[in-house]
Amino acid sequence: MNLYEHTIVARQDTTPSQIKDLVEKYSEMVKKNKGKIIKTENWGLLNLSYLIKKNKKGNYLHFKIEGNSKIIDELEKNEKIDLNLLRYLTVRVKKFDLDTEYFSNTENKKDSNFKKNANE
Amino acid sequence: MNRKKFKSSKKKGKQSNFAKLSIFQPSKYKFKRKCPLSGKGAPVVDYKNIKLLRRYVSENGKILASRITSVSLKKQRELSISIKRARNLALI
Repeated sequence: MNLYEHTIVARQDTTPSQIKDLVEKYSEMVKKNKGKIIKTENWGLLNLSYLIKKNKKGNYLHFKIEGNSKIIDELEKNEKIDLNLLRYLTVRVKKFDLDTEYFSNTENKKDSNFKKNANE
Repeated sequence: MNRKKFKSSKKKGKQSNFAKLSIFQPSKYKFKRKCPLSGKGAPVVDYKNIKLLRRYVSENGKILASRITSVSLKKQRELSISIKRARNLALI
């Protein structure tokens, strides 16, 4: 069973409800192909460093998936035709580090940085 | 006969490398610095860790050479892969 980190960037003007059913749609697809979603992260609205299809900002979604490669082909096939997705990236990893949150939303970002600096 | 010539030219090549290196760094400073990423408490090189990646990228987004940032070769390869992935996701 391989471990994958799958990140998708949705368009700037996707409403939170659209994001929720995006997450459901793709996690449903993973479960259908006997995969397992270890963790989903919503990195929120981040500034893109360059314009993608005239969008300045993007909603980032991050999944940590365990399963074989058929799941990823299935996911990427649908993401190619999905209109309100700008980018998708899948990375095969040896092991997940679930505790470090790089993009956690602002209020616990400060103390997570504080915690990280403390133990660095 | 040419083996002797070859040996001496190899030695000379090495010295010119040192000369080139010392232009960028004050020499006493450069050769003492260990790779900042491969120590024990070193931060993890990851395409999500943009706070770390931004330190090894020039202002207009180019990857800095390892002889300037004194990063070990193994870590420089991981660094360049994760920077390219972060660029793909428009994080950097």
